[in-house]
Amino acid sequence: MMTGKLHMMMFDRLASLNACRIAGKSVTPIVLGAALALSACSSVPVEERSDVRDRYEGANRKVFAFNMGVDSYVLEPVAGAYRDTVPDGAQTAVNNHLRWASLPSTTVNSTLQGKFENAALATLHFLVNGLTLGFADLAADEEEQISKEDFGQTLASWNVPEGSYHMVPVLGPRTTRSLGGTVVDFALNPLSVFGTGDVVQTVNAAQAPVGAVSFRAQNFDAINDVKYNSLDPYARTRSVYYQSRQGLLEDRVARGTASAVSEDEFDSLFEEEIN
Amino acid sequence: MFRRQMMAIMIASLTLFPLTSYADARVTAASALVDKMISDLETFLATDTGEESFRTAEIDRVLNTYFDMESITRFSAGQYWRAANGEQKTEYGSLFREVLCGTIVRNFDQLQGLAYTADAATAKGDKFVIVSGTFTDTTGQRPAVKVNWRVLTREGTAPKVFDIEIENLSLLITQKQENVAVIRKNKGEFVALINAMKDRLENPLHNDS
Repeated sequence: MMTGKLHMMMFDRLASLNACRIAGKSVTPIVLGAALALSACSSVPVEERSDVRDRYEGANRKVFAFNMGVDSYVLEPVAGAYRDTVPDGAQTAVNNHLRWASLPSTTVNSTLQGKFENAALATLHFLVNGLTLGFADLAADEEEQISKEDFGQTLASWNVPEGSYHMVPVLGPRTTRSLGGTVVDFALNPLSVFGTGDVVQTVNAAQAPVGAVSFRAQNFDAINDVKYNSLDPYARTRSVYYQSRQGLLEDRVARGTASAVSEDEFDSLFEEEIN
Repeated sequence: MFRRQMMAIMIASLTLFPLTSYADARVTAASALVDKMISDLETFLATDTGEESFRTAEIDRVLNTYFDMESITRFSAGQYWRAANGEQKTEYGSLFREVLCGTIVRNFDQLQGLAYTADAATAKGDKFVIVSGTFTDTTGQRPAVKVNWRVLTREGTAPKVFDIEIENLSLLITQKQENVAVIRKNKGEFVALINAMKDRLENPLHNDS
């Protein structure tokens, strides 16, 4: 069961790595540039794709192999150690902080999409929990769930086409539209606006890699099951990405009361019976 | 005029009532099936010895009792099911069940300590009912997980579970898309899927970290 839970967010959380910094410079433009350059060079004919939406499958599979290497040599061992050695309370505090850091993006994007109640809730949580830089969830008793909104979802609400499927180095799967959204969301990180050379800046720089490790640790066994036991981990990741993204776009993931799957998906079952 | 309108309303009500009650009956039957399965699983978890052969046998029994394995198997191969010959279909069915059982058994320990709460049930078209529920970790270490059981309700046959959606992610659609990807990568050869499944069963890439 937890396998499905991990599926939903697998690699998507690696997006938090977009704040990785080398010598004080963000690596995001480098990663995005590399992804676009790779994608631009090799479009696969439709009949040779394992999924018609995956125009750049050849290059994408190479990037996926690279990402799996990063996972095997860095994330998996570090996350294993993190899970086994860091106390539960500290792990919860880290998760709280990461969620808090994404709230400004949710506020802005909810407003842009006309979801004002969600925007107000996110603002309230951000202000209250800001007293502890988000490490403690002081508004945990609130019953209303905040639906996470990113700029990719905002673009979708403005009917911007989805574009192609890309496997981005380190960041994981994205459509062209969500990749554009990732760049804007990065700029909305609250800690980006503070000055440099102090504790806040250190927290900001550590946020992305810690986020990736934390997510990997939370879903350690489930991700390993996909990684080591799938027939085609690349195809599985792509399927999960599209489904979870679709759920987010239709606000079904947070609500969790309706089926996320289009009924059309099951038509083939009954066509088979009729024929 | 008034009498005519009243007659029309009464006729419409009488015509629609059986449809409504049929939908209600499907929802009730699907909910009862899921409740019974959960109760069965709870008993199984309570008596679990941790022995792999015992778990495999029990999972196999649960799949046979509560899941429409024939439809699931057929659907999981996508449009390529039609292209497969009888022998391939039989072999695929047996491998698919083995892979499914193995996955559940491998992740079985994650089911320990979970409590299930039924939420709601809704008819989806004339063939499916979605029964929703939530799994919560009694130790509070893991977040609650929303689950939808997609139950196939055909007239004249007992309802059976067709798909499980976890946090709105369909396990069956995911499996189908992965299987179809394997076949498409191998020029539409159904046998490639069978070979990939055999290979994975014979050479599992277990990680022991």
